[in-house]
Amino acid sequence: MATVAGTLAQPTHTGVWSWITTVDHKRIGVLYGVSGFSFFLWGGLLALLMRTQLAVPNGTVIESDRFSQLFTMHALTMIFLAIMPMGAGFFNYMIPLMIGARDVAFPRLNALSYWTFLGGASILSLSFFFEAPGGGWFNYAPLSERPYSDGSGIDFYVVGLLTLGLSSLMAALNFAVTIINLRAPGMTMMRMPVFVWMTFVISVLLILALPPLTVGLIQLLFDRQFGTHFFIATEGGDPLLWQHIFWVFGHPEVYILILPAMGIVSEVLPTFSRKPLFGYPAVVFSGIAIAVLSWVVWSHHMFTTGMGSVPRAVFAVNTMIIGVPTGIKVFNWLATLYGGSIRFTTAMYFAVAFIATFTIGGISGVMHASPPVDSQHQDTYFVVAHLHYVLFGGAIMGIFAGIYYWFPKMTGRFLSEALGRWHFWLLFIGMNMTFFPMHFLGIAGMPRRIYTYDDGLDWGFWNMFATIGSYVIAVSLLIFLVNFFRSVRQEPTAEANPWNAPTLEWGTSSPPPEHDFDAIYTVRARDPLWYDRDHGIAPPEVTGEHIHMPPPSYYPILIAIGITLLGVGALSHLAVSALGGVIAYYGVWGWALEPTD
Amino acid sequence: MAHAPAVAHGGGHTTSTGTENRKLLMWIFLGSECLFFGSLIATYLVFKHQVIERGIGPFPVDVTIDGVSHHGILDIPLTSTSTFVLLMSSVTMVLAVYGAQHARMKMMKLGLLATMVLGLTFLGFQVYEFRTFGHEGLNLTTNLFGATFFVLTGFHGTHVGVGVLYLGSMLAASFRRNGLGRDTGAHVEIAGLYWHFVDIVWIVIFTVLYLIP
Amino acid sequence: MAHSAEPMEQQHGLSPMQYLAIGAGLTLITIVELWVSYSGLGSLQIPLLLFLSAIKFAVVVGWFMHLRFDHRLLTQVFAASLTLAILITIVLLTLYWSADADSIRGYREWLASG
Ligand SMILES: [Cu+2]
Repeated sequence: MATVAGTLAQPTHTGVWSWITTVDHKRIGVLYGVSGFSFFLWGGLLALLMRTQLAVPNGTVIESDRFSQLFTMHALTMIFLAIMPMGAGFFNYMIPLMIGARDVAFPRLNALSYWTFLGGASILSLSFFFEAPGGGWFNYAPLSERPYSDGSGIDFYVVGLLTLGLSSLMAALNFAVTIINLRAPGMTMMRMPVFVWMTFVISVLLILALPPLTVGLIQLLFDRQFGTHFFIATEGGDPLLWQHIFWVFGHPEVYILILPAMGIVSEVLPTFSRKPLFGYPAVVFSGIAIAVLSWVVWSHHMFTTGMGSVPRAVFAVNTMIIGVPTGIKVFNWLATLYGGSIRFTTAMYFAVAFIATFTIGGISGVMHASPPVDSQHQDTYFVVAHLHYVLFGGAIMGIFAGIYYWFPKMTGRFLSEALGRWHFWLLFIGMNMTFFPMHFLGIAGMPRRIYTYDDGLDWGFWNMFATIGSYVIAVSLLIFLVNFFRSVRQEPTAEANPWNAPTLEWGTSSPPPEHDFDAIYTVRARDPLWYDRDHGIAPPEVTGEHIHMPPPSYYPILIAIGITLLGVGALSHLAVSALGGVIAYYGVWGWALEPTD
Repeated sequence: MAHAPAVAHGGGHTTSTGTENRKLLMWIFLGSECLFFGSLIATYLVFKHQVIERGIGPFPVDVTIDGVSHHGILDIPLTSTSTFVLLMSSVTMVLAVYGAQHARMKMMKLGLLATMVLGLTFLGFQVYEFRTFGHEGLNLTTNLFGATFFVLTGFHGTHVGVGVLYLGSMLAASFRRNGLGRDTGAHVEIAGLYWHFVDIVWIVIFTVLYLIP
Repeated sequence: MAHSAEPMEQQHGLSPMQYLAIGAGLTLITIVELWVSYSGLGSLQIPLLLFLSAIKFAVVVGWFMHLRFDHRLLTQVFAASLTLAILITIVLLTLYWSADADSIRGYREWLASG
């Protein structure tokens, strides 16, 4: 690990203990990124198992219960343990650098978010040793209730997500305050890089969307543990209430997953087109519009539940309106490319591919906004195709663009462009091979989440095709891993701004020193480094004054252990919870009294 | 993690907007809490009529079903008293903040202590109410009024409890040699924000659950 | 939004006596609320109760929590969140209480009738 990020070059800051106690946003970013990518590989492995089972009719690799656990854990892993933390990795590493600050507003809270994430991720993942949840990621009632899911799987789901939600809430609070309050002089809101804007929007969405999920999870927990009947219809409860509460969270969550990628692409495209982002205000405001609209569309997941025609019409129209700001973004990206002097680096390949594949997913999304069409597609593979075009073709493509783009900044080293091409093309082809046929399968009536299908249904060919595609994806990821480990072993050769990019993170050495900037920039325009270059403005002068950085602390991990034990207690014995509470409370005291000057 | 006052830095003593980092954090957190209690109250309202339609008591208010009249279980005079107690705790809290910001340590400590005592009194009322309801046959599993009522008021009570712990820790720390340090005013003010928020949530709950028939 | 660094806000607010007076005022409103809830004012009752509790809410937020004297940003943050919470509650209740819900009730009755 210590070689991964060159940030860690300072000889006094090495070893496992330095990672455990770190409050440096760059190291926490690396921790998030590495954990997130590991979970991405793990979630991909689960998907490969499922694709293997579905390759031929009447497959016998996995039986039905295990298959339910696989698709549930695949979704939970990819959403909460892979895409969100990889996004968080970029937020952590890049936001302070991009706004010209030396750290986040609350460095220890940042560390606490990460360790709590790891606790929640462990609870969720270790469920495989007991009983993994098998109710799907949206875990509909009444299937999730005691009479139908008697094992501990759903409890792992509830406790895992509660812990992860707490972690995300703390991180989002931290980043909202950081972006509002820690901007360099001259960095107005409308001069912030789009990635910073998108991070801000995501933070706000998380802060507002997580509480409804928390309430739903608590109600489910009470149903299962204390005998209430919130979601049990025979006792007067209402399973549809769970759907409402879940999707009040769930739809903003979709944008929480995709907006980081949109932000990354909005950084990569201008840099490699060597011209500013086209229509910056339009891109920013359409991002905000998407976030605002995401609150009034949740029932489009419930068109087939008999809500009545007026609600269906309202939610259909609202959903279609979201296509407008999304379209604005797509056209602005295209206009950024238009007339630019384009350099086709691997990061650029991923960013351009993102526009294409995300747009395919976006278009099938608009199709679902129409209730009659949705009624046909509901619970078929067409939905699986749609969501993977948005999440794989969108979020993952964007994240890879970010990895290739920022790798020199984070490590001082370049990823091989030749291997990068192989990675890109195999991933792109594999991804389309896997997910495009699912449109056909869905229209042919193949339901999602089935563990096998009969021979006479004519679904065999495209299923085999998709399975081959998934193995192509696996090969491409192996190539990426080879590329990664070869690069980190090389000598660092990257200078401060190897891509000639316009944003502030490229205004300090690669990798940055622990205090990020030797001298704080004064921002004069939207693309500060290009502005300074074109106007002959020298970088700010280094005064050599002592820069105070917060000391390392072990209280974050201690409190996170306490929080995790609180959760584990809900799964085992209340005494464990009590112990966790005591540890967390002790940690808070130590935290509050710890000197930070 | 309402407990965690991290020391602001990086921007020194100035921030981009002029608002203090920790105070901004607390306000955004309280915004998040609005959605938390909003969801709980929405759930209560969704099931409010259903309880009476199903006809399985006890009911919150007096109702007559099939000619049989049922007595409402909510005790409004009792709850009005506890509401008054919590309201007064907000007054003592704001006085504690005043003391902390004007270097009147005795006023601050007395204010914190009084707020804790009033908060604990409120919790005492709640325990009494829950026990009474239990004797009258209402618990989490009886019907959805029981479920929504106990979960909503229970989580509010938990917030009061956390607040008492928060203020108590602060009071204890204020007896150290250098008290709460040079940021005493900010620390107590932020704790006060949390406490007042718990109070305004109760203002809403009192109206929606108890007063509106 | 101002981008230049401004000095931290000054402490302001009211005097202890004024806070006590506000406390007395809030108590008075609570008593009025009680009276309204027992009065049987008919269709006026619920709006009046909501109005009175909104006043109490605003007074505590504005004066006890210093929002009246603080940076505008804090008011915006809280007001936006509160609005969203109220909006979602209203939409959810509308979905449950709307005329279309009758069709669900009808369906239930149809089920019950066998
Ligand atoms: Cu949606």
